[in-house]
Amino acid sequence: MTIEPEHAIDVENLTKRYGDLLAVNDISFHVRTGEVFAFLGPNGAGKTTTVEIIETIRTPTSGTVCLLGMDVATRKRDIVPRIGVLPQEFSSFDRITVRETIQYYARLFPRRNTDVNGLIDLANLKDKSHEQFQNLSGGLKQRLGIAIALVNDPEVVFLDEPTTGLDPRARREVWDVLLSLKKNGKTVFLTTHYMEEAELLADTVAIISKGKIIAMGSPDELIESNANYLVLTLKTIHGTLFDIIRRMGFEPVQDNHENIKVRVEHPDDIRKILNAMKDAGASSLSLDVRKPNLEAVFLKLTGEALREGPVKEVPR
Amino acid sequence: MSLRIIGANLVVSMKTFSREKSVMFFTIAFPIILILVFGTIFLNQDNLSFGLHVQDLDQTNSSAQLVKNLDFNGKIKITTVDPAINAMQYAKDKKVNLVLVIPRGYERALARRLGLVGGIPNAAFRDPNASVTVTYIYDASASSTSTKIEILRAGFALVNQGMSGQAPFIRAAETSMLTKNYRFIEFFVPGIIAMSVMTSSLSGAVNMNAELRQKGVIRKLSTTPITRTDWILSNILYQFILAVISAMAILVVSYAVFSVRLQINAWLFVFIVLEVFAFGGIGMILTRVANEAESATAAANFIMFPMMFLSGSFFPLELMPGFLQTAARILPLYYVNEGLRAAMVSVDHTAALHYCAMIGVFATVVLVVGINTTKWDEGAA
Repeated sequence: MTIEPEHAIDVENLTKRYGDLLAVNDISFHVRTGEVFAFLGPNGAGKTTTVEIIETIRTPTSGTVCLLGMDVATRKRDIVPRIGVLPQEFSSFDRITVRETIQYYARLFPRRNTDVNGLIDLANLKDKSHEQFQNLSGGLKQRLGIAIALVNDPEVVFLDEPTTGLDPRARREVWDVLLSLKKNGKTVFLTTHYMEEAELLADTVAIISKGKIIAMGSPDELIESNANYLVLTLKTIHGTLFDIIRRMGFEPVQDNHENIKVRVEHPDDIRKILNAMKDAGASSLSLDVRKPNLEAVFLKLTGEALREGPVKEVPR
Repeated sequence: MSLRIIGANLVVSMKTFSREKSVMFFTIAFPIILILVFGTIFLNQDNLSFGLHVQDLDQTNSSAQLVKNLDFNGKIKITTVDPAINAMQYAKDKKVNLVLVIPRGYERALARRLGLVGGIPNAAFRDPNASVTVTYIYDASASSTSTKIEILRAGFALVNQGMSGQAPFIRAAETSMLTKNYRFIEFFVPGIIAMSVMTSSLSGAVNMNAELRQKGVIRKLSTTPITRTDWILSNILYQFILAVISAMAILVVSYAVFSVRLQINAWLFVFIVLEVFAFGGIGMILTRVANEAESATAAANFIMFPMMFLSGSFFPLELMPGFLQTAARILPLYYVNEGLRAAMVSVDHTAALHYCAMIGVFATVVLVVGINTTKWDEGAA
């Protein structure tokens, strides 16, 4: 019986420089075996550099990275057969079909009897199995990339921005595949700049900005510790409501759709506002109470919004 | 090194080749088209025939006999020009680059020179100073004019020498260096094989490495057990297979259409292997030096096209100026051309070995540099 190590990935004081550019600045973190770990950050934050060092593609300037208990700097040959990688902007041989591509990558690994049909089913590519790569849409290419990342039944799967550039429908289709990986207990290292993706899929989220990890924890923990408030949204035709709320000591804001948004620290505050509305004879057309999401956490921590990519993080 | 991985790469490469029409065209169809086009041109040159327009102003039996003899056993096709028209105007109107005009009095002058009296030679009446002047009306800008005039001058010199009654002092004997009487097409085919192998190897190496690197495919491959050695070996093997396919296609067409007579021996495969190594190595170096796939392709074209014309693939080096002939001898394709011709045409094994050694040293150096400059990970992908 083999005992799985607690950590699939251990990163200690990792630094990577490209000349004068400090791409990754002394970061440390651990990824538990069997969890989905999301690396969240804007373009150029150091996500891809970090993940490529862990994948053994790049060498660190300093620090140590252990993957499945092995040093990535010296054990590449032993590590590679045990990991699966979907690189950023995945591409393959244009004239080769979906099935042939999976068969090709399967033959690169020592493992035999790869279930090609099972992978095609997992990626929901059965109807496209005889289609050449060049004829696939962006979403289909990404799903094929995920299937290829699994040809060797890897213990750790790296997915570098798997949904960047996809339309919402294609993104959800990729998420379905990722959720099935999570269900199967794979350790997944996911880099993304989509908050919703990280919140939906990740057990642990690390937020990286300018080469430093600035926060790490479960999505709930991050929200709890960095954005512990509620947002009340009201739609009303009562013109004085805005002033009533302000007089109560809150700081309401009005958006382009005439919605009044109020940030409240405690659920009791909501009751107070609703009572004040009732006393003033004002009624609301709609009412919504929400907890903030990771985006609010990110905005608070970095002061910048995430942007659509992809942009190369480092010069070649 | 893993044979399983090399096999997998070869399968993908061959499938891509069979589905990529442009690669198929440049590997097989393009050299065949070259063989057919140039072969047809060269075949005609083997049976070289020029056209000559002759205006006979004398209109006598003697002048008619001269005109008849001017065809030089079929080497010159004679067209007679009406003696009543202006020869200069005729040449301009008909865009004829040479008209030979035989003057009036030709037969009379000939009779005086030979001392003919009533058609019977009589030495007492022979006039050694009697002569006749033929006129060339020619277009100096036409490339074949000077050749035709030289042929006519040589012919007239023979006639004049014969009339002198003296036996010629210098006689010529012809002995070919070759065991058989080869035609120009047989010299041309090895050049086309060398050119074809060069283009497929160089372009193939650039495409396989630069384009796949730019697309991120090599980055993905570097996260699998395939090694740089596996990748390079499978690429070289693939280029060798393409080169053999291309060479076989050229030979089949050459034999079928032009009935060439060439020696197919082990040297052919030796030179193909060395050429694949040499130009595959150059391709690897270009891929490393150029940042983008497009610039690598442009650099490959910059190397290939001048080399095709300067190294004697299409025409003999003797036709080029001296400095270009010297320059040709530093080009690797020159040694492949000459080596293949030594092996396939003159069957000179010593010469083939010499050229093989030259291209072999070059291929080894370039391949070693190419392999060492091909980066696999650390962002090379």
